[in-house]
Amino acid sequence: MTPREIAVLVLSLGAVFFAIVAAVGLLRLPDIYARAHSTSKSETLGAVLALAAVATSYGLGHNTLKVVLLLLFMFLTNPTAAHAITRAARERGIEPWTTEDEQ
Amino acid sequence: MVAVTESGLLVPVAESASLRNTVTYAVEHALDHADEDGSSASIHFVYPLPERVSYVDRSGRTDAAESLLDRVASWAEEDAGDADLTVETALIATHVYLSTPGDYADVLVRYAEREGLDRAMFDPRYDPIGSTPLLPSLEAEVRRAGLDVDEAPVSAEQQQSQLVRSGTLTQFFTLFAASFLFYLVLAGSLKAFELATGAISAGIVAVSLWRVSLTSSVDPLRTVKRLARFVLYVPFLLWEIAKANFQIAYIVLHPALPIQPKTVEFDAAVWSSLPVTTLANSITLTPGTLTVDVERSHLVVHSLTASAREDLFAGTLERAVRFVFYGRAAARIPSPIERRESEEGEE
Repeated sequence: MTPREIAVLVLSLGAVFFAIVAAVGLLRLPDIYARAHSTSKSETLGAVLALAAVATSYGLGHNTLKVVLLLLFMFLTNPTAAHAITRAARERGIEPWTTEDEQ
Repeated sequence: MVAVTESGLLVPVAESASLRNTVTYAVEHALDHADEDGSSASIHFVYPLPERVSYVDRSGRTDAAESLLDRVASWAEEDAGDADLTVETALIATHVYLSTPGDYADVLVRYAEREGLDRAMFDPRYDPIGSTPLLPSLEAEVRRAGLDVDEAPVSAEQQQSQLVRSGTLTQFFTLFAASFLFYLVLAGSLKAFELATGAISAGIVAVSLWRVSLTSSVDPLRTVKRLARFVLYVPFLLWEIAKANFQIAYIVLHPALPIQPKTVEFDAAVWSSLPVTTLANSITLTPGTLTVDVERSHLVVHSLTASAREDLFAGTLERAVRFVFYGRAAARIPSPIERRESEEGEE
């Protein structure tokens, strides 16, 4: 295996790991706000790592540049989507879940 | 003088630099008009305060609007002096959601019809939405509904900022250049065909969007400095994101799910839409915090753990964003927690 293949493999594994974390978080966390944490952060990193793996496998070149642009858009759009969803939830008057001892 | 007919003047108001000037002009205009046709002069100042369910501090916003209306009414009375002038103020549209100029025009026209007003006067800086220029289309809509529309003139002092408008040419070319470059990057070649189609597309983008996408004037030097500092900011942000993810992964995979979610609010010490957007998105991407709502620079943030809240209030991110947009000096403003403490100290 060439070093590049190893790097691609490591990045892909990272991507899979964080995508799984996002999915588990989506199932385990209590309410829409907390779930949005999981989807906005872990999902972003998962997608970004996957794209980084793609970029690495292309090597330096024009396609890589496009992938890097895609990556940038992920960084911009993912938080925005999470923001839009939670804001909609807030406008519907959904109360965030809190632990009992906190008031 | 038989004052049977009453022709009123409708003046929508909001916080604006030229408001004082507009009030004076509106009063003169109303009095002149009343003199001409022998009707009694009246002015209605209205403040559209649209519904926003999410707004927690609604009473605060209403108070601010009412105090503005009071201020405007007292200015108008001061300007009218001894002349006979009826001044009315009203908060309107308090239960509707307004977004487009058409929506604003609708509520204004409905108010005008109900009160029997046939003329409207706009403040040249009237901009209730606060991001895109709204006034020309709003005026057109109101005019179409059959009202006489007038715009208060800009005073000498404001002319200066009007001159900055020549900078819109720079804006145009900045947008053109950015679109052109982007097109060429995607095309990946410099053939004559790509250059020509790129120039055409960039031209279309620049012509149709230059008034929309760049609302402030472009200062090339400042933009370059900002970009340079932004390049410094990216590794910092990436590091924070990586940290965030390991933290979230730990929390999510921990059998006991150790979370203490809580929503917190604070006013960020950043001032215009782009820095606020950057900050809000960065907050969402970093440890345990998620921006839920933003109103100007007031942020509503949902945090997953107590330590995430501490990090947020320590203001590292906010400082970094200020550094990107305003330079090193601005980074030294106190953090949210220090600001809060000093406020509590004063009270």
